[in-house]
Amino acid sequence: MSNQYVEKVLSVHHWNDTLFSFRTTRNPAFRFEAGQFAMIGLMVEGRPLLRAYSMACAPYDEELEFLSIKVQNGPLTSRLQKIVPGDEVLIGRKATGTLLHDNLVPGRNLYFLSTGTGLAPFMSLIRDPATYERFEKVVLVHGVRLVSELAYEHFIREELPADELIGEMVAAQLIYHPTVTREEYPNRGRVTELFGSDDWFASLGLPVADAAHDRVMLCGSPAMLADMKVMLEGKGFVEGSSSTPATYVVERAFVEK
Amino acid sequence: MPYVVTENCIRCLYMDCVSVCPVDCFRKGEAMLVIHPDACIDCGVCEPACPAQAIRRDDDRDGTRWLAFNARFAEEWPRICEKGKPPGDADDWRGRSGKSAMVFGADGP
Repeated sequence: MSNQYVEKVLSVHHWNDTLFSFRTTRNPAFRFEAGQFAMIGLMVEGRPLLRAYSMACAPYDEELEFLSIKVQNGPLTSRLQKIVPGDEVLIGRKATGTLLHDNLVPGRNLYFLSTGTGLAPFMSLIRDPATYERFEKVVLVHGVRLVSELAYEHFIREELPADELIGEMVAAQLIYHPTVTREEYPNRGRVTELFGSDDWFASLGLPVADAAHDRVMLCGSPAMLADMKVMLEGKGFVEGSSSTPATYVVERAFVEK
Repeated sequence: MPYVVTENCIRCLYMDCVSVCPVDCFRKGEAMLVIHPDACIDCGVCEPACPAQAIRRDDDRDGTRWLAFNARFAEEWPRICEKGKPPGDADDWRGRSGKSAMVFGADGP
């Protein structure tokens, strides 16, 4: 048995010249939890060329969705960015990852802190009813350099609150805070600067996050992960795992080594 | 920079790591698992999953000296794709020192 399903591309959306999303068919046997990733890719010269991609769609979606960067000479993404509807992609059979509700102990408010394509697993988590059932407020922070990198901005602001299944919960509980570092935009500043600022929490109408009550999930650049780890652990947060749930989790699968 | 399985796995073989590995890089011997360094994609999901804290990056603590051991036995031992049943006395062996010398002797790292 091969390790991948062969699925067909259904649609492609290019956000800018470095970012795109695509949707594919889904084998009903492929199951995943919100926040997980799988190995995704293409046949290249007769062999599967795969990289870890978070599922950006809800776990109950009949199709799959992924968010990808375009790397100029990247062996996979230089090819992947050219896909069109009807093309075949490989979807790994095993979903895995660390950004799971079960890896966190219960809490008050949940913070999703992301930069760049690190948004992807949180696109699944904000569409998962369990997210809203387990927490009071859910804060999605998406840090990018340029405004055009704010993938799904319109979707999150306009379409998600109107969703039949989860729209009410989203409207009542989700706080979306995109922030841009290099261009004019209503929200500026790096993710770490915001999380370290009491004023920022006040601007959201929330108490300053603390380890006794709140929980954090991280997915983003090596710099953001390293800085946030120091900040969170300084505030008494502890990294959780499947064997020992705790107060924050990090996805390291996409970090350049 | 692959991850490696180290001493704490010996005679415990909880195999939680196997459940979470997206690329089935684990190989199973009689007394422990190893990671095939070429198959590992450095996703890091296995490290916190191990109840015995047996897995680490190859450049972390004693990871370096276990890299060659993992590489060697990954070529000999069969691939394992699903978590099996750990040995009945796994918990008795957890955290004990000297397991490598006891089981592998000169073949150890």
